Amino acid sequence: MTTSNPTRPSRAFVPYPFTATRHAARLPGLVGDEETGVHRVLIVGAGPVGLATALGLANHGVASVVLEADDSVCTGSRAICISRRSLEIIDQLGALPAFLNTGLPWLGGRSFYRNDEVLRFQMPHDTAQRLPPMINIQQYYIEQFLLDACKTRRGLIDIRWQSRVSAIQPDAAGASIQVLTPSGEYRCRTQWLIGCDGARSIVRDAAGLKLEGTSYEGRYVIADIALKSERPVERLAWFDPPSNPGSTILMHRQPDDIWRIDYQLRDDEDPEEAVRPDNVIPRIESHLQMMGEREDWSPIWISLYKANALTLNRYRQGRCLLAGDAAHLVPIFGVRGANSGFEDAHNLAWKLALVVSGQAGDALLDTYSEERVKAARENLSAGIKSTEFMSPPNFAFQWMRTAALSLAVKHQWIRSLINPRQTQASAYAGPPQPVLRRAATEFQDGPAPGAALIDLPLMIWDGRNSRAGHLTQLLHPGFTLLYFTHAELPLSLTAPLADWSKRHVPVRIVPLFVKVRSSNAGPSGTDISGNLWRAYDAQVGSAYLIRPDGHVLARWHRATNDDIKHAMEWILHHE
Amino acid sequence: MNEQELDEVYGDFCRTLSAVSEAQATPFLARFALLAFHEINDVRRIRALIQEAGPERA
Ligand SMILES: Cc1cc2nc3c(=O)[nH]c(=O)nc-3n(C[C@H](O)[C@H](O)[C@H](O)COP(=O)(O)OP(=O)(O)OC[C@H]3O[C@@H](n4cnc5c(N)ncnc54)[C@H](O)[C@@H]3O)c2cc1C
Repeated sequence: MTTSNPTRPSRAFVPYPFTATRHAARLPGLVGDEETGVHRVLIVGAGPVGLATALGLANHGVASVVLEADDSVCTGSRAICISRRSLEIIDQLGALPAFLNTGLPWLGGRSFYRNDEVLRFQMPHDTAQRLPPMINIQQYYIEQFLLDACKTRRGLIDIRWQSRVSAIQPDAAGASIQVLTPSGEYRCRTQWLIGCDGARSIVRDAAGLKLEGTSYEGRYVIADIALKSERPVERLAWFDPPSNPGSTILMHRQPDDIWRIDYQLRDDEDPEEAVRPDNVIPRIESHLQMMGEREDWSPIWISLYKANALTLNRYRQGRCLLAGDAAHLVPIFGVRGANSGFEDAHNLAWKLALVVSGQAGDALLDTYSEERVKAARENLSAGIKSTEFMSPPNFAFQWMRTAALSLAVKHQWIRSLINPRQTQASAYAGPPQPVLRRAATEFQDGPAPGAALIDLPLMIWDGRNSRAGHLTQLLHPGFTLLYFTHAELPLSLTAPLADWSKRHVPVRIVPLFVKVRSSNAGPSGTDISGNLWRAYDAQVGSAYLIRPDGHVLARWHRATNDDIKHAMEWILHHE
Repeated sequence: MNEQELDEVYGDFCRTLSAVSEAQATPFLARFALLAFHEINDVRRIRALIQEAGPERA
């Protein structure tokens, strides 16, 4: 069937091919209107960030209660692009296979100005990588798959649906929470409160914190449509296309034959008017025709989007912590929203777990705030640049963009300005030099303290069997000491590490051999090609101490027990 | 000039142009062009750039 008549009356909407399970409200055991007992950790919001935080805490054996106002996973068009770093985190949370089974991997994209291709970009990728740089997957799947993982942590994650937090009183020992449900209202107490309650966070208000930054005026229409097309999965952008002169259009393929189409409204358009289906449908129609799409299509969901670039100055206020959209709102261009939220959750979970169990001082939680506020500022600055290009805030950005696009047809050098600057893993500041007790220049290569591990292939040994795998698969929820060796592990390191574990701070030593088969009884790796040793600038006796979130805490060429002790004391107690 | 430097100087230029205001933008761009003449300091290259910048063919 062809759809070549642009004046054709409005098309009928179809639903998403996904049925969300509705969850009933449930009241806990109450005395009067009061829940008995005090929760250790209470999370407000079961969006991607709340669920990831609960799963992260469960990895460390810490139970949490999650209060969610809604009765199901989200509907409508929200996050679709999930980065490699997020997938690594999702792997640690035990949900990766479902994401990879459903998500569509992609490597790059193309941009057009009028009729000409002006950019072809590739995200960093090579065959040594375990995971694609990005997958496309609907947010309802993201939430559902995290939820499925939560169900495997019985006794550790208590999700309460249709439970809206209506009032919060923070105090020195935690917070008192008022919860509204269709079955009634109750109050409860928690020692720690985490606000993962999104853009209009009530936890943020209760903590007395305010978002600061810029809100952009430019409006985008965001539409999901059902369309069968065999086009490859890539990011497509058109500037001033013949189908919609003057507009900017973005397209992404999603699983289940759904496509996301975003387009920019002109400044003189009334947004309420522009978002009406009879205004949206002809524009999409015209664009699909220009692309040569002949299959019939149907609208699923249409909404309006306006970019914000806002963050709190701190993500901790006493015993209240903020993560995800509750803490920062980044523009969608560059896909940093949910992706940065996963990094928040991953940074917070192990720190809070150590504080709750008394193994670390609560100053460790200030490092959560410092590290993630800094990451948010970097995300915002990249997101702002993308937004200024995708949605020029005034005549100057508009003129310069037109100039850049028109020159880009011929001039290669200017094309980097059109690159969408997709999200990348955050790097944190490592410990200061006195803590490391070594010169920063000791290593020529490899991830520096604060950076996330570089994942590379190796053979993984579990004591008996071996399989092809990747370095990050050797991590576990505690600290990991990656020790590059040819033979035995030095007793001078293994004995003290066992001491840490007795103090309930699990530190696991993982030997990494080069070329030779492992003789280790526990988990270990063999770097067959020698590439991993090279990438980490490793010598016999080099050691990388890895935080539970996969970031390097410290590294040394000949680590001593004292080196490790200093680094651990620094991170746990800021000594 | 690497990609990051191009990025930064492009952003700076856009922001300055915004601050100059739309009404004053044309004289600003003309002055910038003249200053660039002096820096390029090569008549042949300047002539080529004038050709290159010249009206975009729709
Ligand atoms: C059109 C669009 C496209 C996007 N694309 C991308 C993308 O490609 N990649 C990306 O990384 N990000 C993207 N994002 C951003 C992403 O959707 C958000 O950053 C992400 O959902 C944030 O997750 P969160 O868990 O912090 O908050 P939310 O997803 O907003 O979840 C908050 C939860 O808290 C609940 N809640 C709120 N108040 C209360 C209360 N008082 N009591 C109890 N519960 C409450 C809500 O019901 C909700 O379930 C996009 C966003 C939009 C709008």
